[in-house]
Amino acid sequence: MQSRQGLKLDRHGSLKICMSAALTSYAPADLRRTILRMAYHGSTVHIACAFSLVEILAVLYRNHLKLGAGPDDPERDYLVLSKGHGVMAQYAGLREMGWLSEDQVRSYYGDGTALKGLSDASVPGLEVNSGSLGHGLSVGAGLALGARRRGTSQKVYAIVGDGECNEGSIWETLLFAAHFRLTNLLVIVDANGYQAMGSTAEVLNTDSLEEKFAAFGFEARTVDGHDEALLDQTITELVQGPFPGPRAIIARTIKVKGKGVSFMENTNLWHYSSLTEQTYQAALAELDNAAPGLRP
Amino acid sequence: MRDAFAKSLVAAAKADERVLLLTGDHGYALFDEFRHFFPKQYINAGIAEQNMVGVAAGLGKSGFRPVVYALSAFSPIRVLEQIKLDVCCDELPVLFIGDGAGVVYSTLGASHQSTEDIAALRGLPNMRILSPADAHEMKAAMELAFATPKPIYLRIGKSDLGPVHQAQPKLEWSRLLPVCPGDGPLVFVATGSMVNLAVKLAKDWPGSAVWSAPFLKPLDADSLVAACGRHRVVVTLEEHNVLGGLGGAVAEILSQEHPLPVCRLGVPDRFSCFCGSYSYLMREHGLDLDSARNQILAFTKKHPF
Repeated sequence: MQSRQGLKLDRHGSLKICMSAALTSYAPADLRRTILRMAYHGSTVHIACAFSLVEILAVLYRNHLKLGAGPDDPERDYLVLSKGHGVMAQYAGLREMGWLSEDQVRSYYGDGTALKGLSDASVPGLEVNSGSLGHGLSVGAGLALGARRRGTSQKVYAIVGDGECNEGSIWETLLFAAHFRLTNLLVIVDANGYQAMGSTAEVLNTDSLEEKFAAFGFEARTVDGHDEALLDQTITELVQGPFPGPRAIIARTIKVKGKGVSFMENTNLWHYSSLTEQTYQAALAELDNAAPGLRP
Repeated sequence: MRDAFAKSLVAAAKADERVLLLTGDHGYALFDEFRHFFPKQYINAGIAEQNMVGVAAGLGKSGFRPVVYALSAFSPIRVLEQIKLDVCCDELPVLFIGDGAGVVYSTLGASHQSTEDIAALRGLPNMRILSPADAHEMKAAMELAFATPKPIYLRIGKSDLGPVHQAQPKLEWSRLLPVCPGDGPLVFVATGSMVNLAVKLAKDWPGSAVWSAPFLKPLDADSLVAACGRHRVVVTLEEHNVLGGLGGAVAEILSQEHPLPVCRLGVPDRFSCFCGSYSYLMREHGLDLDSARNQILAFTKKHPF
């Protein structure tokens, strides 16, 4: 049974790390298939906001996160999903790593199961409780400060949404991270251009994010958030670069929240909709046509 | 009492380098000694309380013992969700200090007065609430807090009312502390600044017992019933809204375990109307000696013993 600092057992003692064999190399189409499976079997929503960060997570899990001996390794890097609504993408990544089993993935959202609809630190591999927005980033800043004080080389990769940047607490943390020169913090904005009630530009505009982050004292770059090679290169350059403060990537995933499934793109519907058998099969078929893979 | 707090904090930082003090740009002069001796353990997070609590949670996750200092009007109230989600959910070892609780900032109005902090925190699972009455209790409370790596809120109210104990008492989580023994019909259970008033009031009803409640959560039912069971009327006193604080907690327990009439004295469920000195405002809220006595007399008329 997995114990996390002796206190997680109280909440979800039944959740084990299954450590099954790693499946693939985090191919985005496979991650999206896993997300679709979870969403279909659990009849859940928040599909599109999970889809938009798939490439970001794939690149982080595959090439950058050093997780050491596992989720309790005190020297591990931290992947902080501050936009907890995209948690299915992280579950899909943990499935690829073998930290979640296929049974756990399929039981997602069910009665008495541990995988909730929003990110929850009781799940091994998830670092923060989110869902209410603007929380995870500040906890990530604390992790980064703690790592520096302990003299480790740990990195904190914190993923926030552009909609989440409506929250004032995000900007408090940007001030703090820059003031305390948290060079081991990389903030990645999944800038998919949508939030709950419409486009971010229409609701509460968080445009010019790169300029905003730079003005707050970050080294900031804007990239195509679905271009794995570019993401990988940019993360490497920023993390290894000499900048004396925190770093940020604005990952543009604008208007493609349902990336990879055409009928989910350019709409906010799939923040709220559940899959039917028909839409599930149609979505899988599109992913298969674009990137054939093993159908589970 | 605040001096005892500052000295206890210095002692804790000296004993354990994992102790980190975070302040939301408050505590001028209070932390001079701490800053002088342990500058690396001092973090002024600026006027940004939400981030400060999140950062404290992250530090707690990575093995540190963060102490978050703020006025109680700002923390817990402004950051209640951060305390819930970032700290209490994962039961992290963060010690919150809420200074100036009650109507200490009597001249500054609603923004700086704090009569809802206990009620707000009592409903959070994993949170423990301490409310010391004097310097002796403060020192004991700080020692207990650092020995307990859990989410804790330590409430500092009016701090210059003098001692109620002769020496440092031995604190045991959730249990009441005896202040004055007595077998009369009345028993006083008070917390923080109001223990002092309870001792004065008790003199009008000779034989009354007085207990201090340094723990508002958890509050041990057996300890409470043992303290109140042989009396006829319970009087609770707190510098907090009469709803959801000590009086509420006592009434919840006694109604189930040992029903007795409970006269809850505290700040009425309203904001302060006027500016004024501390004693003026306590009078406005019916918490000066005369007003409190009259409220108890009225209550005992309805519930004769």
